[in-house]
Parts: sequence; structure tokens; C-alpha cells
Amino acid sequence: MELNWSTFILEIFNFLVLVWILKRFLYQPVLDVIARRRAMIENQLAEAEQHHAEANALKEQYEHRLADWEQEREQASDDLQQELEQVRVEQLSVQQTERDQEEEKMRVARSRQEQQAVREIEQQALQQGAVFASRLLTEAAGPELENRLFGLLLNELNNLPAEQISRLSVKWGEPPEQIQVSSAYPLTDEQRQQLERALSKVTGLSVPVLYDQDTRLLAGLSINIGDWALQLNVRDELQDFTEFVHVER
Amino acid sequence: MGEDSLFILPIFELGYLQLTSTVMTTWVVMAVTAALAWLCTRRLQIKPGRVQTLIEALVSVIEQAIRNIAPQHSQQIMPFIATLWLFIVIANLVGLIPGMHSPTRDLSATAALAFLVFLSVHWYGIRIQGLKNYLRHYLQPSPILLPFHIISELTRTVALAVRLFGNMMSLEMVALLILMVAGFLVPVPILMLHIVEALVQAYIFGMLALIYVASGLQSQQLHQQKQGDDHA
Repeated sequence: MELNWSTFILEIFNFLVLVWILKRFLYQPVLDVIARRRAMIENQLAEAEQHHAEANALKEQYEHRLADWEQEREQASDDLQQELEQVRVEQLSVQQTERDQEEEKMRVARSRQEQQAVREIEQQALQQGAVFASRLLTEAAGPELENRLFGLLLNELNNLPAEQISRLSVKWGEPPEQIQVSSAYPLTDEQRQQLERALSKVTGLSVPVLYDQDTRLLAGLSINIGDWALQLNVRDELQDFTEFVHVER
Repeated sequence: MGEDSLFILPIFELGYLQLTSTVMTTWVVMAVTAALAWLCTRRLQIKPGRVQTLIEALVSVIEQAIRNIAPQHSQQIMPFIATLWLFIVIANLVGLIPGMHSPTRDLSATAALAFLVFLSVHWYGIRIQGLKNYLRHYLQPSPILLPFHIISELTRTVALAVRLFGNMMSLEMVALLILMVAGFLVPVPILMLHIVEALVQAYIFGMLALIYVASGLQSQQLHQQKQGDDHA
């Protein structure tokens, strides 16, 4: 149990050598590999963190893009609504215009129909008036009326201006061979003489005058000198009256 | 098992130099330890295998234990403390091999280890804090305590050496006595106790050495920190 100094010194030396050996071949390599592994893990963690940050950035960017898309979609939807509203207003305006034009056309057509109806009514009224007047004059016609018409004719013939008499001579062209006088009632001899004198004065012709009776004249005379006819009777006056009304319309 | 088992006799003598079984066994332990360390660490990979995982776990546990006691200087004192643990464990367990004796049953070996601990306390203290600052802590809190500090340094070193030596020698002696009295295979339970005792004594020796070194490093730091707090 005594202390051996040789062993003591050698054990000190041995232990120090062992410390160096283990430090060189055990502690340092193991600690180095642990440090490398830790560094690798830290690098991987840092990369993972970086990837995480990048993923978050991409996610944020994606969310912003989604928000932008949503905003653009809403904007496009609003624009579409406005465009549809504008088109609707324009279509309504066009339809309103067409409807106004259609109404105007209908109004014009209706006005024309009304005018046509008024004209038809007026014509009918005129015809009825003419028929009424014709019936009235037919009922009222008689020798007295014819005498007054005869008188009126003589007066007209005797008072014709010279200028008009010259124009009448031009109208019948070639001198007629005879003068045809029709009356509703037979003319008396005196009336025939007065008429022949007046005709001779007006026409300057000395051709025979033929007389006949035409009851369709109702009252009055109808004188034919070639192509020229002088009408002063109830039938032709009523017909002229009706034609005059038509012309006035 | 005879007188050779109880007394350490020189195997070879060269003048004043005597080679005992303790030294020879220590060399065997060193060779085996160095060979194992080289074999296990020659192909370390980032993705460890089973052996590498075991080695890394062993080194990590030791490094973490040292870091818990001396967090600021664990890298500097780790080789010394870790080697103490590994060497003492292996040296203690060598005694279980028939025909071999634990180097730690020799007071010369344990005294050498304790002396190294004594030197390492001052070596690390002076190296890290400087000679003046390190020696100053012997005068703290009062110069009157200097003799007690010196006595404490000496006695704890002696206690380290004697504790390990006494435990290991007594285990072998008990096993030898039981073998002599009871016969073959009867000391087997005592050998099982030898395993536990070998681990416990290695842990105690290494932990005490760690505490002594750490206290030498941190006593001056605690004093400086206290002075800083007083000034603040």
C-alpha cells in the first residue's frame, strides 16, 4: 500500500497521453460531426424557414391577386351592368321612337280614314242633296220654269259680248248644216222665232233649226250647233252642280 | 490468488524505474481505448449508424454534464474530465477480467489521478483567469482563510486518491477473502457489486474533479460579479 513513485509518474504520463489520444481520436471528431450535423439541421431549418417565408409571400401575393381579380370582376360586372343599362335605355328609346312613329302613322292613317269618311259622307250628302234637289226640281219643273229658262237664255244670247261671239264661231269649225234644239216642253211659234233670231244673231248662220221634245231635260233647252252645245235646262244644271261640288272637293 | 493479489510488486526494473502490473494494465487499457476510439470515429457520417449513435450519445452525455457544471468553459475542460470518467470506468472494470487487476486498486495510480486533478484545478484557473486573479481567490473572503484553503486543497486531493483506492482495493480484497473462505463461484454476487461500484466510483471521482475545476474557475468570477453588483 506504499506509494510507488515510478508508477505515480508513469500513470501521470499515461493519463496525459490518453487525454491527448481521446481528444484527438474521440472527442474532437465526434463533436465536429455533431456540430456539422447541427449546422446542417440549422441550415435546413433556415431553408425551411426561408421556404416558409417564400410560401407566405406567395400566399400573400396570391391573395392580393385574388383580391385584384375580384375587384376586376366586380368592375367588369359593373361595366357590364352599365352597358346593359345603356343598351336597354337605347333599345327603349328606339322602341319608343318606333312606337311614336307607329302611332304617328296610325294617327295619320286614322286622320286619312276620317277625312276619307268625311269626304264619303259629304259626297254622299251631296249626292243625296243632288238627288233631293233633282227630285225637288223634277217635281217643281214645268212649263213656267221652262218659260223662265227660255227667257233667261234669250237674254243671255242677246247680251253676249262680240268677243265671245267671235270665239264661238271658231269652236264649231266647219259651219253646221243645221241647229238642233231640244226642249222639255214644246215651244210655241213665237218662242221659236225669238230663238231663231237670237241664234242667227249670235252664230251668223242661216241654217235650218230642228226642234224636238226631250222630257229628260225636266225643264229648259239644249241647243247643239255642230260640236258646240248650249245647255240651259234643269238636268244639265243639276249635273253641273254635282260635278262642281266634286271639283271643289 | 496469493500475495501478488494484495501487493503490487514490480514486474520489471530499470534503475529507479519500476514497471508494475498497474502500469502494464494501464497501457493495455490505453491501447484498447485508443483502438476503440479510432475504430469508432474513423468513418463518422452525418447520418449516424448504431455504433456512431452510441458513441455520440456517450460523448454528448459527458459534454452536457460538464456544460451543466461549467457552462462557459466546458470545451476546455471536457477532454480532461471525460478522460477521467472513461479511464476510471474501464480501469475499474478491468478487475473483473480473470488474471487482471484494476489499476485503481493501486494507490500510486489513484494518487497520480488525484494529483492531476489538483494540478488541473490550478492549471485551468490560471490559464483562464490569470495567475494574479486566480491566486486572489485564496484570500477571499478574508486572508485569514488562506491556510484553510490550502488545507482544503490538499485534503480533498488526498481524499480523492484514497477514496477510489480504498473502494476498489476493498472490493478485490473482499472477493478474494470470500473466494478463500467459501470457494469457487461464490464471489460472483460480489463481482456484480464490483460493476456497480466501479461505475459509481468513476462517476464520483470524475464529478468531484469537475466540481473542483469548475469551482476554481468560477470562484473568482463570482467574486468579480459580486463586486460589480456592489458597485452598481
